[in-house]
Amino acid sequence: MVNKGFAKHYYLMLLPGFIWLILFSIVPMFGIVMAFQDYNPGLGILHSEWIGLDNFKYMFSLNDSGTILFNTLFIAVLKILGNLLIPLVFALLLNELRVIFLKRWIQTIVYLPHFISWVILSGILLDVFGYTGPVNQILSVFEIKPILFFGRADLFPALVVGSDIWKEFGFNTIIYLAALTGINPALYEAAAIDGASRMQRIRHITLPGIQSAIVLLSVLSLGNVLNAGFEQIFNLYNPLVYSSGDIIDTWVYRTGLVDLQFSLATAMGLLKSVVSFIMITVSYYLASKFANYRIF
Amino acid sequence: MKKARQAAGMALASTMLLLSACGSGNSTNSGSGNAVSQDPNDPFGKYSDTITITIGKEVDAADKSLPSGDTPENNTYTRYIKEKLNIETKIVWQAGVGKDYIQKVNLSIAGNDLPDALVVNDTQLRQMVKSNQLADLTEAYNQYASPTLKSIIDSTDGLAMKAVTFDGKMYALPNVTAESDMQHIMWIRKDWLDKLKLEVPRTVEDLEKVAKAFVEQDPDGNGKADTIGITGPQSGGLLNADFIRPNNNNYGFDPVFGAYHSYPGFWLEGKDGKPTYGSIEPETKEALGKLRDLYAKGLIDQEMSIRKDAQELIKNGTSGIYFGLWWAGGYGPLADAIKNNPEANWQAYTLLDKSGEFTAHMGTPSNQYLVVRKDYKYPEAAIKMENLLLRDESSFDVSVGIGNYPLRIVFAPMDEMYVTYNMMKEVLAGTKTAEDMDLPGYKLLKSDAENIKKVKLEPYDKVDIQYWDPDADIGAWKRMYSTLVGIAPLMEPYKKTYSLTYSQTKTMESKWATLDKLEKETFLKIIMGAAPLESFDTFVEDWKRQGGDEILAEVAELAE
Repeated sequence: MVNKGFAKHYYLMLLPGFIWLILFSIVPMFGIVMAFQDYNPGLGILHSEWIGLDNFKYMFSLNDSGTILFNTLFIAVLKILGNLLIPLVFALLLNELRVIFLKRWIQTIVYLPHFISWVILSGILLDVFGYTGPVNQILSVFEIKPILFFGRADLFPALVVGSDIWKEFGFNTIIYLAALTGINPALYEAAAIDGASRMQRIRHITLPGIQSAIVLLSVLSLGNVLNAGFEQIFNLYNPLVYSSGDIIDTWVYRTGLVDLQFSLATAMGLLKSVVSFIMITVSYYLASKFANYRIF
Repeated sequence: MKKARQAAGMALASTMLLLSACGSGNSTNSGSGNAVSQDPNDPFGKYSDTITITIGKEVDAADKSLPSGDTPENNTYTRYIKEKLNIETKIVWQAGVGKDYIQKVNLSIAGNDLPDALVVNDTQLRQMVKSNQLADLTEAYNQYASPTLKSIIDSTDGLAMKAVTFDGKMYALPNVTAESDMQHIMWIRKDWLDKLKLEVPRTVEDLEKVAKAFVEQDPDGNGKADTIGITGPQSGGLLNADFIRPNNNNYGFDPVFGAYHSYPGFWLEGKDGKPTYGSIEPETKEALGKLRDLYAKGLIDQEMSIRKDAQELIKNGTSGIYFGLWWAGGYGPLADAIKNNPEANWQAYTLLDKSGEFTAHMGTPSNQYLVVRKDYKYPEAAIKMENLLLRDESSFDVSVGIGNYPLRIVFAPMDEMYVTYNMMKEVLAGTKTAEDMDLPGYKLLKSDAENIKKVKLEPYDKVDIQYWDPDADIGAWKRMYSTLVGIAPLMEPYKKTYSLTYSQTKTMESKWATLDKLEKETFLKIIMGAAPLESFDTFVEDWKRQGGDEILAEVAELAE
């Protein structure tokens, strides 16, 4: 605000992002009315028949609704926890590593999977955990009968969460490592002179030093509590694991785009958006309260 | 590589979108009223001014037959249409064969952003009629459909017309497939049978013995226990054909169900004379129990329904048995299978019930519908393109995949493949020649007669793989092998079971998706051992309660 020309320059840079936001997030929002209509593509959003809450009533009468809500929550919460804790532990361990060369190598290698798309990764996973894949071959050494991993409803959430964490933990580690570099080395030196052990230094210097980063990341991830990962699950699931792996997004996709029940799918999508909106509001409030993080 | 190709395809598609926008703009400017043929009622009449038809196209990524420089939008077939009818086809979008194409059409419907003409399925047709998106083709059909086309549609006794008529108006041009696209048969490695000194299995009991031998006795002789008995459906595939998709279900278990007189997914007349649904009948439970047993014994591919591509097992010589159509032989994975192993002698048989009868479920002759967007100026153009295809297909150079003909839907007399089979026998026996093959509607008969001796070696009465020369003309081999091997089992008399209806009722529009998911999930779990066989009974109750009874009542009304 000090220099007007300076600010304009930045606003210009923001412009593409804004156009993208308006076209792909704001404009489609008008489609929400479909949830209260018997949507007919020929008549369009403006002229389709208005049926109030019928879609929602039908949606809640379906046996599926409870299952997919639970699955979504279950998988998403496990992912959030895993993606917060494991990178944290890994970052702390990496931070203690004194060989810089090794540290850089590990850091780079573990975050490579982040750049592989789920379409490709799911193919690899299906093979690795396949009936004749490497995992089952290792198990056969211990005389364990081959397990059909992706056909077992009880194992599916674990596989989904596990593979997601494996793919993303390297990337999240970097955020923590960035926070760690912000800690003044003089504190460590002082503590070492005072005779603090390594564990004590982690507990009393490192953790408090990155506390705000931890709090911030965890509250912001609350907005994802209903995002269990469409891309990943869509590429990995099959009818055998619907009972534990079918989530809101995959259900909406099948109902809306495969079965052409547009309004029902929109109703479910809207439900998800409303819950997510509440969670994001709450998380923003918490973030501003505990981590002093503010946008407005 | 694939990504790059996709990106290129996208760029191409969007460019085409721009081009087609220009194209249609031009035609409305210059061609107002002028672009009619000399004779208004001529089914093959050429437009005096070039007209443009925009389409969505299903493309087969595996089809490598286009010469370099040619594209799905500009190839020998599209140029032929341009030359003969003065119709230019513009592709506004293209999508991969099967699931991708269906989804792309669904998106076009949902967004009400349709090309001028499209090929759609039953569910989509219904949705489009409901949404008032389609042109009424009644008049165009009456005036412009060629007599051959009409005679083929009439050969279905009104079934084809019934599928596309709503409130007395014809909203689509229905295809007509040969009856042989309805029966599912068993393909089996005869060379493995011979090696293990086994007979061809004709009953489910024998099938089990053979599959066991295929799994345990190392039929491929590589010293490893890596063979699979029976191939199952791939990820997203169907365990059995159903009334919505009654034809062309490869790698399912239809013959096994049929052997138990079980017809899941079909609407049948029950023992009490009232309509019932095949999936809730006790015979289906029995068949599921058997399949469950076979799977538990390791005789069915343990990764069925998870595996991305079932054909792979056949191509690489891992599997010895699969179920499918007559064309799932040569036109299916076998061209690649024999490339990998020239001795893979796949032969086709029917699977019989306890009394020794083949009891197949039958489909409907129409499952593809050519529709024209409402407000498109030349609804007859699409029909003319089909007229032309039907008349001239036999003169086309088949080395370019016929799938590249825009808006192609199948028109075949119901008995096309039986006639082809018999005629080929006669040609081989020397009692008939290509000159005798002038039957209208049987479009490929003549070229078949000319090609058969290129690929079939003597003795002509034996069809094992060593008596063929696929390298002479792989296109001809695909068709002739499928015909002589795949059609032979259907030449015996057998019992046909039809569904009471092949289209959806009112309640199905909202409830079928849920019921169908329940059924497919339950059946798959039962077979793969993830749920007990008794869960079938729970399924029957749930199915009835969640709308099944309501739908049954509607079907009963429909059947009367």
